[in-house]
Amino acid sequence: MSVDVCEAPHCQLVCENSSFLDEENSLVSLVQQLHFNYKVSLLIPDCSSAPSHLDSVINSFSSFVLIKNMPVSEFIDKDFLETAVYPGSVCALSYRTRIGEDNCVALMPNGRLRLSLDRHSYHLLGIEGKVSKFRSKGRHIVSVDLTDSSMAPGGRGYDRLLSGLTCRLPLTSDFLLSHQQGVQSCLKSLLSRYDWSELRPEVSTKVLHQLTCPSDLGSCDAYSVMDWLGAVDAGISSSSIGSSSSFLSTYTCPGPQRMATTALSISVSGFLLPHHVQILIMEVRQFLEQSSSPWASLTVHGFTDNVVSCCENEHGRLRGGVNFYTLLMSKGHDYKLLIVTGSHDSCSP
Amino acid sequence: MKGVSTQKKSTGYQRVVLKNSAPVLENESTRLSAVEFKQFIITGLKILYGEVGAALTFDVLKYDEDSRTAFLRVPSRGLVKLWSSLTLLGSYQDQACAFRILQVSPFLLALTGNSRELQLD
Repeated sequence: MSVDVCEAPHCQLVCENSSFLDEENSLVSLVQQLHFNYKVSLLIPDCSSAPSHLDSVINSFSSFVLIKNMPVSEFIDKDFLETAVYPGSVCALSYRTRIGEDNCVALMPNGRLRLSLDRHSYHLLGIEGKVSKFRSKGRHIVSVDLTDSSMAPGGRGYDRLLSGLTCRLPLTSDFLLSHQQGVQSCLKSLLSRYDWSELRPEVSTKVLHQLTCPSDLGSCDAYSVMDWLGAVDAGISSSSIGSSSSFLSTYTCPGPQRMATTALSISVSGFLLPHHVQILIMEVRQFLEQSSSPWASLTVHGFTDNVVSCCENEHGRLRGGVNFYTLLMSKGHDYKLLIVTGSHDSCSP
Repeated sequence: MKGVSTQKKSTGYQRVVLKNSAPVLENESTRLSAVEFKQFIITGLKILYGEVGAALTFDVLKYDEDSRTAFLRVPSRGLVKLWSSLTLLGSYQDQACAFRILQVSPFLLALTGNSRELQLD
């Protein structure tokens, strides 16, 4: 497939206006289906300090583990299957592997093991898979349901996968791994065999002063809103915004504008799970009801090199790997959801 | 009430944001201010595309003088011109230099969440 260098990277933007009270809103399923999240950014205007309960919720996000040079065959180890995969409490993602270039591996909480392999590795592995939708000539996707009866230890499917991962294609990689009940307590035997380190999500809290912001976020178009949120998140200073005659930049805050005396910006990055995001959404909603802040925005970025996007569809990256959603919450139960996926994504709302 | 709309960017106007590093310079101690940085890029556009190319409007949204990293914003019709002129800019004040584009996206928000920047070891 050739790349059209005359065109800018394509993205798909889905906008949804709904309510938390609507039972059919797609927010819950979207949050649950994006298993691997890299960063969550929260912006609350007219707020000068993080409320204590929000702080404690963020600091209680579970730690995750970085395991070095672990063979992929460990995911089908009998002990690991019994303690982690079958209960549905573990997820893992290969670290520092580039989708579309390297072999990437993801293990989802539902027990599905997904491998994105180059052609040579795919043929060596010897397990049936599918051709990648985005790179038909050089990439294959292998998806195995480890909870299926055919993949029970001793079964034909299990033996074939085991021999593939141990003899024909002994893939190893660094992995980010998280377990709902705590990695150290539940995966002792696995961790004892490899070099690993326990890590906590990195939290950064900033109080912004004299922030020029749109007076009515709901009336701005989605692109302007996301550009403005990006400008705030990137730390683009106020002097660069709102000055259309500047030599350096003509970017301005979408109008009409107002000046927020203070605004709270929190970002959490690491290996974040869906239930972290769900808890954070609930806490922010509660905070909005009690505070004077008119709205809050929560942006969740997925891993660029993830093997899956939402609905367990294939995720790819050509020049972008864009994979995030922004939730704009106002007082009450209404929200606006903006989902952005790249050209190599088949994410459907 | 629930409303869902899907939009694909039309080919009319589209903002594309680049996150790139400023020149890797032969002499690391050379410092560029934000204004000098933008002027340097304009010079590159002029060399490659002439006066018309130099008239391409782009914004330096953010520039870090220490790491020489910048966020640039350009209309999509100007992406190829800007990207190619950055690629071919090879010297600054008689010093060899090179630009490295880190990330390109239609959304500035996408540039703030690149998991490839995650450093855990």
